[in-house]
Amino acid sequence: MKKNFKTEIKFTRTYKEYINHHPAIREAHCLKAEFPDYFQPIQQNDLYAGRLKHGLVGFSPDEWGSTAFGYYILKPELQNILNDETTDEKTKKEIEEIISFWETENTSAKIRRSYPPEMAKYLPSDDWMNQSGIAFPLYRLTGGNINFKKLMQLGLPGLRKEILSKLATAKENNLDEKFYEGSLIALNVINDIIDYYIRDAETQKELADAENILRLNNIIDTLKLIKDSRPKTLREGIQLFWLYANAADVRNYGRMDVYLGDLLANDLDCRIITEVEALKMLQSLWQLMADKHTVVHNRVIIGGKGRANENNADRFAILAMEASRTVLEIEPQLSLRIYEGMNPDVFDKALEVIGEGRTFPIIYNDDVNLNSVVKAFGFTEKEAEQYVPYGCGEYILEHQSFGTPSGVINLLKALEVTLHNGIDPVTKKQMGLALGTFESFKTFDDLWNGYKKQIEHYVRIMADHEALEYNVAGEVAPYLLMSMLYDDCLEKGKGIFSGGIRYLGGTLETYGNTNTADSLLVIKKLIYVDKSVSKEELLKAIDNNFIGFEKLKKKIADVPKYGNDIDEADDMLLKVHNHVCNYVRDQKDRVGLHSYMIVNINNSANTLMGRSTSASADGRLAFTSMNNGNTPTSGNDKNGITSLLNSIVKPATDIHAGAVQNIKFSSQMFTEHKDELKALLKTYFENGGAQAMITVVNRGDLENAMNEPEKYKHVFVRVGGFSARFVELAKDIQLDILNRTLY
Amino acid sequence: MNATDTNGLVFDIQRFSLHDGPGIRTTIFLKGCPLNCAWCHNPEAKPYKQQLSFNENLCTSCMECVKVCNNTVHSFVNGKHNVNFDACELSGKCVEVCPSEALQIIGKEYSTNEIINIVLRDKKYFENSNGGLTISGGEPLAQFKFTKSLLMKAKDAGLHTAIETCGFAKEQQYLDILPYVDLFLYDIKAAEDKKHIEFTGASNKLILLNLDLLSNNGANIILRCPLIPGVNDSEEHLSFIAGLNKKYQNILKVEVMAFHNIGRDKSKNIGVEYKFNDKPNADENTKRMWIAKLEDYGCTNISIG
Ligand code: SF4
Ligand code: SF4
Repeated sequence: MKKNFKTEIKFTRTYKEYINHHPAIREAHCLKAEFPDYFQPIQQNDLYAGRLKHGLVGFSPDEWGSTAFGYYILKPELQNILNDETTDEKTKKEIEEIISFWETENTSAKIRRSYPPEMAKYLPSDDWMNQSGIAFPLYRLTGGNINFKKLMQLGLPGLRKEILSKLATAKENNLDEKFYEGSLIALNVINDIIDYYIRDAETQKELADAENILRLNNIIDTLKLIKDSRPKTLREGIQLFWLYANAADVRNYGRMDVYLGDLLANDLDCRIITEVEALKMLQSLWQLMADKHTVVHNRVIIGGKGRANENNADRFAILAMEASRTVLEIEPQLSLRIYEGMNPDVFDKALEVIGEGRTFPIIYNDDVNLNSVVKAFGFTEKEAEQYVPYGCGEYILEHQSFGTPSGVINLLKALEVTLHNGIDPVTKKQMGLALGTFESFKTFDDLWNGYKKQIEHYVRIMADHEALEYNVAGEVAPYLLMSMLYDDCLEKGKGIFSGGIRYLGGTLETYGNTNTADSLLVIKKLIYVDKSVSKEELLKAIDNNFIGFEKLKKKIADVPKYGNDIDEADDMLLKVHNHVCNYVRDQKDRVGLHSYMIVNINNSANTLMGRSTSASADGRLAFTSMNNGNTPTSGNDKNGITSLLNSIVKPATDIHAGAVQNIKFSSQMFTEHKDELKALLKTYFENGGAQAMITVVNRGDLENAMNEPEKYKHVFVRVGGFSARFVELAKDIQLDILNRTLY
Repeated sequence: MNATDTNGLVFDIQRFSLHDGPGIRTTIFLKGCPLNCAWCHNPEAKPYKQQLSFNENLCTSCMECVKVCNNTVHSFVNGKHNVNFDACELSGKCVEVCPSEALQIIGKEYSTNEIINIVLRDKKYFENSNGGLTISGGEPLAQFKFTKSLLMKAKDAGLHTAIETCGFAKEQQYLDILPYVDLFLYDIKAAEDKKHIEFTGASNKLILLNLDLLSNNGANIILRCPLIPGVNDSEEHLSFIAGLNKKYQNILKVEVMAFHNIGRDKSKNIGVEYKFNDKPNADENTKRMWIAKLEDYGCTNISIG
């Protein structure tokens, strides 16, 4: 347990001292108070300095635990220390003071305090992971992709020079001098961090062996170089990038092949380093990223249209994929943008790495996405070339726009509540709008309209919330280290959220889309069309988690589901999709954002929110996972891969800000059927496939299939000269195949 | 050309099939086969009519089927689920109520239009992989009208077509479909007629005649040779296969279909006897040996199917 709160105390004292100063000055001094203290020593094997471990209070644009961002406090952790018997009285007193001050002064608290009554009523909880609800707010400014290319070109001295020159003319140009003054202080904090790491490396050298002395000397030399000039080698480039990203707490790294590709190519061509050394450098960086355990961030983008020096960038891209192949971690989330006419070696390398079951790179199809980004966001074609996915798969324009998801909405919960006349069957309390009982919906359209009303009510609140969060965040701080590398901010002398950014957009994460559509089709067919089931029976079955309703469950299973290339089912998904996408998108002008769109993405929220969602009419059992992203519910795709792919390309991609597709393949596909696999993916992308996250099924998946056959019907295996569904085979044959796959 | 729409009995539609001809294909499996091979991998394909299938592995002994069946097909004796397949009248009632998909009616009536509409959904995948439609079975020519209509429709739509055939059909039927078939997957099972009759219930004379006919008329052929260790993998048979390969220019390739006892469970599911219950599957060494021998005898292009 943490014993030393010197920095937290210093941070709090500094904030209080500057509480009434200009937000830029206050932030700059707070950064100076928390850094370099919150940086950790260089570890064995690290080729670069830069391990960040945030304290229990501090400043960051992104979240550190639920609702902790901006000026944040990790109250539960502090509370634990307070409750611990071994904590001495003096420390207790200090912690109490920290808590009592930050409880009301932290940024999330300020946001919640400014909720209008309606918002407070319908967003009663911030605990989306554990509580039942239709919609929840999120507190963070996530997904900023700063201009690392500019950082590489200018280096720290160049950036300082630019700020100084802006400061010199600020008055005559009627710009905010304090913003620039704060920026200079903030930039100096990076120097403080560099100095700290030079001292750290020097100290570590005293006990190191020859090899490690060499490693530490390299770090020291590199740190000294980047302090005084722009980076000229890959090593310097990576070091500067990494320190800056950590200090700014930027967790998504944009088009790395663009900003590091030239340095790599130059190093290799001038024989400064070998390929092997270059790979080692990336591997070390990859490990540093992995050790951050962000789970949903650490995006590195490679490939795609609109790269100035494509050859160099491709060389970097291939090396990056080799790093992902060899560093067996789940981060970084390496993401490859592909397009017709790209270097085929890059795509082949991607297939090699994916085929080994690494699940990376995640693939984004420029031939679809550029057009979608133009239409969805209203960017020009040229601008759209600089789109990057971040986090769980939301798109923004690198260093030009923002689109933090500041809320989640559970569509399936909304349907559930609508079927129960506004009552949440899990808590038995009034939750959403009471629009009438299920019985009172005489036609399917009545029900559909009720569902729509419910969703729209929450969407309006979430859109208001997004704008409100940005407003409060912008009043509180200019997020200097991020803003000085965001387009227009230095020119305007304003922070990103204080009017500096070019395009301020927002997003809303939707969950349960597929379950909702499948449920609606079941209700439509069984109740309103065939009339073979009564509303009462269906409600009872849902409320009893289908126990005692096996026959009904079977009937439900026979209704077509999304993901099988069956129009009836896919059309319902489109209805749900189009409605929520368009309604959300229509909010932007009302709330004053450049864009506001849904994202249909992949993380664990489908499972976490599923835990508070009752059984649904599509046959999903209570409190189990909902579907993931734009994919069918697990095991519901039964018509083979082409039909799955045909289904998932149907939802429009130009009315939202990102959607993800999980696709699983057997490893055989990558070894024995490479040509067909390539043809399959090519067709998928030609048909409008925007994205693909490819899992290669391994032994573990087959073992799971033996335990939970109902979820693994899509696994086809080759038996002798014939194909079979794995789950339909006898146990001993399954074992046979299982063993064969392993060897 | 405009082929007329015809109905046929189909027992499976496999999209993204990679083993029945080149590229990505959709394979349509038809019911009905004139032969009766002892090792049959698809015993459910043999009868020309629908049939009940029961998968013991999936049964949870809920007894719902017992309650609904008017013909007492299902019964439980000492906790064991017995199925009297012969009494089944295919009402489908038990299938409807079975909660675990242990019961199925094998075989579903489709029109060629319905089939072609499903097939065409993957047309782009075929085009990008040089794939297409394969009609398999059973024996496709056992439902001649249906097969021909489907082939014609596929050709109309510009698809590559293949059929997998056991060779046991009228010569005229082969000549009739020849213009619409880009590839024949042609089964060769035993060199010696006596053995052929023993294993399949029919003479191989007609089969070899049809192979000759197709070859002389310019068909593209892949020989598919089921090899069952100790049954039909004799030197004589292997050299016979190689001989055919050399004799006919149109044979593009020889595919060895190594024995697997998958037919065992499928037979059990539909209540028919399986002769090779105890036969072990062909192991990797045996497969390698077959290939080596076929090469010795002069085959040039061999693969394991
Ligand atoms: S299909 Fe009908 S007759 Fe046959 S076993 Fe089932 S219920 Fe009985
Ligand atoms: S209904 Fe299905 S699961 Fe139940 S006993 Fe019959 S076959 Fe078994």
